[in-house]
Amino acid sequence: MTAIMQTGAPTAAKAVPVLKRRSPYPAWFFLPAAIIYGLLFLLPTLASLYFSLTRWTLFNSTFIGLDNFAQFMREPFLVKGLINTVIYAVITSGLKVVLGLALAVLLTSQIAARGYLRSVVFFPVLVSTVGVGITFTVLMHPTQGMINEGLALLGIDGPGWLVDPNLALFSVALVDVWKGVGLATVIYIAGIVAIPQDYYEAARIDGSTIWQSFLYVTLPLCRPATVTVIILSFIGGLRTFDLIWAMTRGGPGFASDTIASVIYKQYQAGFYGLSTAGNVVLFVLIAVLVIPLTMWLNRREGHE
Amino acid sequence: MAGLELKSLRKSYGEVEVIKGVDLSVEHGEFVVFVGPSGCGKSTLLRMIAGLEDISGGELFIGDKLCNAVEPRDRGIAMVFQSYALYPHMTVYDNVGFGLKLAKTPKDERDRKIREAARILQMEHLLDRKPGQLSGGQRQRVAIGRAIVRKPEVFLFDEPLSNLDAALRVDMRMELSKLHHNLGATMVYVTHDQVEAMTLADKIVVLNAGVVQQVGSPIELYQCPANLFVAGFIGSPKMNFVPVTIESVGAGTVTIVGKDMSPITVPAQTSGLQPGDEVTLGIRPHALDASQSGAIVGRVQLVERLGNETIVSLQLPSKADWLVVLDGDRQLRIGNSLALDFAPASAIIFDSSGLARHPAPQALGE
Repeated sequence: MTAIMQTGAPTAAKAVPVLKRRSPYPAWFFLPAAIIYGLLFLLPTLASLYFSLTRWTLFNSTFIGLDNFAQFMREPFLVKGLINTVIYAVITSGLKVVLGLALAVLLTSQIAARGYLRSVVFFPVLVSTVGVGITFTVLMHPTQGMINEGLALLGIDGPGWLVDPNLALFSVALVDVWKGVGLATVIYIAGIVAIPQDYYEAARIDGSTIWQSFLYVTLPLCRPATVTVIILSFIGGLRTFDLIWAMTRGGPGFASDTIASVIYKQYQAGFYGLSTAGNVVLFVLIAVLVIPLTMWLNRREGHE
Repeated sequence: MAGLELKSLRKSYGEVEVIKGVDLSVEHGEFVVFVGPSGCGKSTLLRMIAGLEDISGGELFIGDKLCNAVEPRDRGIAMVFQSYALYPHMTVYDNVGFGLKLAKTPKDERDRKIREAARILQMEHLLDRKPGQLSGGQRQRVAIGRAIVRKPEVFLFDEPLSNLDAALRVDMRMELSKLHHNLGATMVYVTHDQVEAMTLADKIVVLNAGVVQQVGSPIELYQCPANLFVAGFIGSPKMNFVPVTIESVGAGTVTIVGKDMSPITVPAQTSGLQPGDEVTLGIRPHALDASQSGAIVGRVQLVERLGNETIVSLQLPSKADWLVVLDGDRQLRIGNSLALDFAPASAIIFDSSGLARHPAPQALGE
């Protein structure tokens, strides 16, 4: 017995450093991805941090400290843009959660043409955002658009979807939800399908109605899907640009401007350093909002 | 107070019939075990009783009530699932009380019932935990707690012990037996483990391919299996079978002969049997004993010495593999031949259609 322990101990002592020392071998697998990531992501990120501190004309740049940030913050429509961005993100992610879950519940139940309907719901995700934007701009035309003409048939005087300053941002948000809800639905379908049938059967034997099964089984157990949908669509909402630009260009006036469209306008005007500073602000805004949100959602999840 | 009455119950999925007309009556307070190999329809039958599967034909009575179209919650049943199906986001307390909450039981009454169930199952200290923090055995207990808290007329268990390790399974088996004794409720239990069936059941229902093979008490099934399937399924180790030919038919006996044995006369129900008929001889491993003058001689293939008994795997001249359980510790060499003897009354003759030819009771008594 002691002999075994004596011979056993030195091997164990030797084995520990061997385990701890890292072999360079795995690094070779990591390297290609690291180079691509470094060149295409890290380098531009760091470069943009630098350029945000310069007056930059693409060909030469002068270091001016935080002036760009100061100027960006003084932009009259910036505050409006900031508020719009947050409103837009909250509306789109909220609607995507609610509608995505509702559609996913519908599309996982025993209904006819389920597979076909799943493709229908997902299809808008595949269409180009600009194409969607242009199409809906036509549909939402205040007098000749199909939506208002349809409403007129019902005797309803349709609003100026994209021309009413109080409505434009919400109209674009609705189109964003139409386009993006398919992805949320797919995530929810995956989450719902992963819930073992036993839970529903146990609930049914315990006397649960369909609504109670949804409330006590589906909803809590597809929480990971909810977290994913919220985070993805919230970030997507905060950095939205293409749809806004295709539909309203931030207008009427600055009514539907978001940070991204403000930045783009600076960029168009040739203020490259300024717009880069705007991007840094957007980056910080997303980080400040999303990191605590993620931590909160995941903490609740881990708690369960 | 509720028994069960199944009247030619059928279930088909499209063209495929999985339950082919089951008739069964279960008295109140009985512990009934459905046993059979995978895919025999035992779980489907249980789920039909639970109301989780529609009934394609026949009638199901729980108590006196025809339940074919009654919702699960109104059947007065509770079910324990193989996976336990405990809601991972709820504490044990909430899991156990879930059914009561849905039934809008007042909070203080609910609390009292949950604690009562926890006391019966000795899991009061687990009430604040979530299922993820429990061991397999504890989860099992919670799943049972969720069933008993509703005070159902009939308990349904779907292979509840199959996810537990062997030692825990034995413990839980005893606890279930005690629980049945204490609650006095009707219990229907599905398992593929014939030892579980033998130890727990008042009544075993052996199923194969959607057909009831035999219904009876464990000892009845062990001693008088109705056919080859039941004989092979009930009893551990499995019954040995060997094809033999009838040499002569006597009064309540047949004399059989086969490749592996000299002629032996065994009691059997002889009607319709004739000399020359091919039949099957079945002998339980425990009924065989080593004997110099034994009628059956085989070659020792494997010896498992368990101390209190020795399990020998033999190959007969016809290449049939047999198991023999010998009392006590025997030292046998692999490759040696071993002669076996058995009491004629312990042998069972199965006719060509697989039905057992048990001798008339007086012949058994001899």
